[in-house]
Amino acid sequence: MVEPLLKISDVWKSYDDLQVLKGVSLELLERDVKVIFGPSGSGKSTLLRCINMLNPPDKGEIYLRGNNITIPKVDLNAIRTRIGMVFQHFNLFTHLKAIDNVSIGLRRVKGLKKKEANEKALKALGRVKLTEWAEHYPAQLSGGQKQRVGIARALAMEPDVILFDEPTSALDPELIGEVLQVMLDLAKAGTTMLVVTHEMGFARAVASELIFIDEGIIIEKGTSKHFSVSPKSERVKQFLRKLDVLYGSHEKLLDDSEEEEKG
Amino acid sequence: MIFQANPIEQLVAVLGYWDRLFSGFLLTMWMYIWALILGFFLGLFLALLRQYGHPSKRWWFIPPFDKISTVYIEIFRGTPLIAQLFFFFYLPNALNISPDIVVLNTSFNLFNREINLKLLDYPIFIGILALSLNSGAYQAEYLRGSLISVGTGQLEAAKSIGMSRLSSIRHIVLPQALRRVIPSWSNEAAYLPKYTVLVYFIGGVEELFSQADFIQHRTFFPLTTYIIVAIMFIIIITLISKLLDVIHKRTGIPGL
Repeated sequence: MVEPLLKISDVWKSYDDLQVLKGVSLELLERDVKVIFGPSGSGKSTLLRCINMLNPPDKGEIYLRGNNITIPKVDLNAIRTRIGMVFQHFNLFTHLKAIDNVSIGLRRVKGLKKKEANEKALKALGRVKLTEWAEHYPAQLSGGQKQRVGIARALAMEPDVILFDEPTSALDPELIGEVLQVMLDLAKAGTTMLVVTHEMGFARAVASELIFIDEGIIIEKGTSKHFSVSPKSERVKQFLRKLDVLYGSHEKLLDDSEEEEKG
Repeated sequence: MIFQANPIEQLVAVLGYWDRLFSGFLLTMWMYIWALILGFFLGLFLALLRQYGHPSKRWWFIPPFDKISTVYIEIFRGTPLIAQLFFFFYLPNALNISPDIVVLNTSFNLFNREINLKLLDYPIFIGILALSLNSGAYQAEYLRGSLISVGTGQLEAAKSIGMSRLSSIRHIVLPQALRRVIPSWSNEAAYLPKYTVLVYFIGGVEELFSQADFIQHRTFFPLTTYIIVAIMFIIIITLISKLLDVIHKRTGIPGL
């Protein structure tokens, strides 16, 4: 059996009295793309933040290529270079140009020389189609461009896996497409990705598995087909209906389900 | 009021002592600049400690630097500067120490007048010391405010690419915080020349107010003397404010 790239085993996390995660387990193989979705406050973001130990879990283990990263003696800074993170609100370094946002990790963490770091950073910016914007500051970029710089920043570190925390939910509708396109390209190029998103189109296109989380537990897992055709739990059906109303974009899913019924 | 001279005559009489006004002004500015710079580094140190010095559970044996810094800041902001000046002035004597401070003198000629300037002796040293320690406490709070304003998202992003805490603060937070602090920090830069005046009260320092006192006793024109001193302050503080405005604009982040 192939060893999972990332293995999360029975992770619990609470903030003061609020129990956010109640025993979440999942696995990610090399080149896997999985999508996590669920209502707000369900613990999706907390789960991602546990995985790269921004908020270490209270209980449970996380394994990266078989190594437990939740034990105390682990060098978390070294681990985090191998787990990329893309934030909902971009969190670009506002005082740095796009190119420096991408290269600073290479220089300050990986110790690359400026020239070498810049070459790699330009390559990463190329993958998100922003080579021409390298010399711009974040405040001079659109939301979609900012998020693509955020993706390039994570990519440049050449991590084993990239976590996406609702990468498009802070964007204007018109700008969502360019970010999703970049993410699709990455997925097709074999990047291992764990994505919190409600973009079902993206999920359908590339996700090997969708994971529905509510109130800190995984309610249901399955392919996008599974969720569009025969979601089991009432909670998921309810949530998908709401997404339908909100985005009005599930006609395609409905078509799928009709086909399924006929077939 | 028969002997009261007209304003022009008063002005001419007081400005006849321009060399004293000038050397007093230089000494005041000399102490001010040292206090501002030393206070800045002290303030930065205190602000970083207060903001990031919370001991982690893993390093329980490290003292609570944030608390220590807070206590320092509250003591220096909570007591009068003049009391601090006297405290440090009399402290060595009370402890039976006789501090050995190097005396630095300089003199130069300007428009046929010899200007003698004492740059360092015991009272001047105490003045600079107390002003720095006091200003550091105020500057710490301006700096801490701007450290906080940078936001946790920046630190998290730095963390997420594997940067150490120290490196994140140095390369991500500080470059932004130091830009942002300039407008509020200019308060301290504008207050401090006027606080520097208090060194006059520990005596023996020939700064601007002791020179003004000398001049008004010679000329019997106190009002004119102190108006001239006030004008000198207005000019220098306006220049400082303008300079900081320019620096703020020059260092601004494009697009913000």
